[in-house]
Amino acid sequence: MSNPQKKRNFQIEAFKHKVVVDPKYADKTWKILEHAIHEIYNHNSSGLSFEELYRNAYNMVLHKFGEKLYTGLVTTMTAHLKEISKSIEDAQGGLFLEELNRKWNEHNKALQMIRDILMYMDRTFIPSTRKTPVHELGLILWRDNVIYASNIRTRLLDTLLELVHRERTGEVINRGLMRNIIKMLMDLGSSVYQEEFEQQFLEVSAEFYKGESQKFIECCDCGEYLKKAEKRLNEEMERVTHYLDGKSEAKITNVVEKEMIENHMLTLVHMENSGLVKMLLDDRYEDLGRMYTLFRRVSNGLLTIREVMTSHIREIGKQLVTDPEKLKDPVEFVQRLLDEKDKYDSIINLAFSNDKMFQNALNSSFEYFINLNARSPEFISLFVDDKLRKGLKGVTEEDVEVILDKVMMLFRYLQEKDVFEKYYKQHLAKRLLSGKTVSDDAERSLIVKLKTECGYQFTSKLEGMFTDMKTSQDTMQGFYSSHLELGEGPTLTVQVLTTGSWPTQPTVTCNLPAEMSTLCEKFRSYYLGTHTGRRLSWQTNMGTADIKATFGKGQKHELNVSTYQMCVLMLFNNSDRLSYKEIEQATEIPASDLKRCLQSLALVKGKNVLRKEPMSKDIGEEDAFFVNDKFVSKFYKVKIGTVVAQKESEPEKQETRQRVEEDRKPQIEAAIVRIMKSRRVLDHNNIITEVTKQLQSRFLANPTEIKKRIESLIERDFLERDNVDRKLYRYLA
Amino acid sequence: MRKDTVKLISAEGFEFVIDKRAAMVSQTIRNMLTSPGSFAETQLGEVRFPEISTTILEKICQYFYWSLQYARILLHLQEKLRRNYFVPFCAKRYIHVLSRVSFFPVERRPSSILNLS
Repeated sequence: MSNPQKKRNFQIEAFKHKVVVDPKYADKTWKILEHAIHEIYNHNSSGLSFEELYRNAYNMVLHKFGEKLYTGLVTTMTAHLKEISKSIEDAQGGLFLEELNRKWNEHNKALQMIRDILMYMDRTFIPSTRKTPVHELGLILWRDNVIYASNIRTRLLDTLLELVHRERTGEVINRGLMRNIIKMLMDLGSSVYQEEFEQQFLEVSAEFYKGESQKFIECCDCGEYLKKAEKRLNEEMERVTHYLDGKSEAKITNVVEKEMIENHMLTLVHMENSGLVKMLLDDRYEDLGRMYTLFRRVSNGLLTIREVMTSHIREIGKQLVTDPEKLKDPVEFVQRLLDEKDKYDSIINLAFSNDKMFQNALNSSFEYFINLNARSPEFISLFVDDKLRKGLKGVTEEDVEVILDKVMMLFRYLQEKDVFEKYYKQHLAKRLLSGKTVSDDAERSLIVKLKTECGYQFTSKLEGMFTDMKTSQDTMQGFYSSHLELGEGPTLTVQVLTTGSWPTQPTVTCNLPAEMSTLCEKFRSYYLGTHTGRRLSWQTNMGTADIKATFGKGQKHELNVSTYQMCVLMLFNNSDRLSYKEIEQATEIPASDLKRCLQSLALVKGKNVLRKEPMSKDIGEEDAFFVNDKFVSKFYKVKIGTVVAQKESEPEKQETRQRVEEDRKPQIEAAIVRIMKSRRVLDHNNIITEVTKQLQSRFLANPTEIKKRIESLIERDFLERDNVDRKLYRYLA
Repeated sequence: MRKDTVKLISAEGFEFVIDKRAAMVSQTIRNMLTSPGSFAETQLGEVRFPEISTTILEKICQYFYWSLQYARILLHLQEKLRRNYFVPFCAKRYIHVLSRVSFFPVERRPSSILNLS
């Protein structure tokens, strides 16, 4: 450090600046700066020296002339801005916005330069006196002098709105220009943007869309209207991204949604020939999907759709279920139900993006109308029966599973599951005994599904039936291996059925032919030898027999007949001609069954192994039967009239119903006792609700029935009525 | 090389050619050079300081370079100290002050006019 003042004590004094002598110093300096600002605004800045201006501003502030500098700045800028605003006002028509834009850019540039020069003032003078910084000051002055100038203000707003309107009607406008102008408004402050533009914009848009939606509603159908609405919505969102403030997006989309969708929601949905209902019927996934996405934006939109859809499904379901035509063929009926379910499932899947709300609505509607028809459980059971007999032949395993799952789905909708159980047991018994099931695996898998759905209790008997069949096979093997001498005679196959598991039938026996009865007795003694304490009774109405027959011209056939029919035919081994009465006496078959079996033997074309005289349809007491020697058939094996599971006739139906009701009584009682045991004291209404809830998985309990059961329990001293409050019940241990 | 430099001219007319990066350490010079308007300085690429003497300007230029080189390290040190709670508070202060005055006592006025932080 070369310091000539080494001889002094090391005093480091504050550096003293040149003393200002000139009193007009401030004015002079300000003049320089003012001139500079003028030049900047006139685009002549290239002649200026930054350093000099910066130094001057610095000096002014340092010597406490900051105030003068600031006010001078304000006046100068205001003056310039007034000029600018005049020139903008004078711009003609289309050039208005361009002129505004250009002047704004110039102003910004000038402002930045001025700020750079006056940086020192910005950093020291302004914070201490809490005035607005230079940049903000520039914006505020611009706003006050240019934008708020009365002519410009309204003209700006009108021009902007007009441009937007033109774009909406399809013209192409200068988007870049729009973006710059909007950005200018945003830079001036979000309140400026909102007041000067956004509010009006939203109002005008609302008007526009109101008019447009009115027009569209009148001329377009639902699908087209939705397409147009979607297009407009997308257009508005695009507009926002291109030249509006991001915060406006939510607001303008709200406006569009409200005007175009919310106000016309009901009209759209209920439109004739193209509304929601038609779309559902025609599977118009695209239109439905569009409706879903659009309505989702609006509150209550989806609710409206859901309500209309629910009522429509219920309507259709009700028609389907109460149509007498459809009810003639149960398999057809159930198939129709499954088809409808599939259709709506796919609609919800594809168009409504699997919305849970709609799934629930669908489920409740199905439940509603399936239970309108009291025979639904029976029909569903018949459907399953048909499938398991022949419908699943040649179908792959996965398809089997799919079909069974669908059936389970329908099963879940049933309220009276115990009715279904009864019918299913009957049909299963017939299937097992006639050996008609197509696939054992399919049967078992269905039982498993029922078990998962309803619990072990439901399927225990069904499984019992399967076990019986298995055990019978083993028993037969045992029987034949221990009685080897029977290999020559007729082959007997016995199915031993446990009475509890199988549906009860009235036991009637008939006279078996001699060969058969000895064999049966042998089996009986064998069986009772191995199992003590049991009783066997022959169910001759459920058996089948295979007989070899030789007819007049020597043609041999093997006939597959029911047990009753076998008894009748065996009689003809001993005599050629038999009258009805003789047959009845010999076989002791009940009259109605006998008549039916004779009819199927004698009167069915192509299977008439017997001849009847006279050849009338009904069978009288004195009718005579002969073996039909002229019997011809293409096949060696001929099947004759086995009993097929059918829709029940009226009296049978009543009977089954009654049995179901009977079965329900002990279940209700058991439920009541269970509840009272845990609660001890409970009043009437609560008992009813609790019992209904507990039994919900099996059937819908009738309150009057519950009341009767309570009465009977009181009689049997399980419950007692409270002495004080007649509605309370108490449990007696 | 030519494009990245600016010329700083002192009161006596001495010309100091330094990197633009170094010059940008001063906020004022930075604003000057990046200003949107076209001032005389940007056009010629030189800045005159009629009130700063040569010796001072020389030191200032040296300060620019020193600052570029060491500012980062000092900043790093400061960061480390800030995180380490066991170092007494005054030690942190010391480092801070060091970074300001460790170079040498610069004339107050030029440093403020040049806006050296």
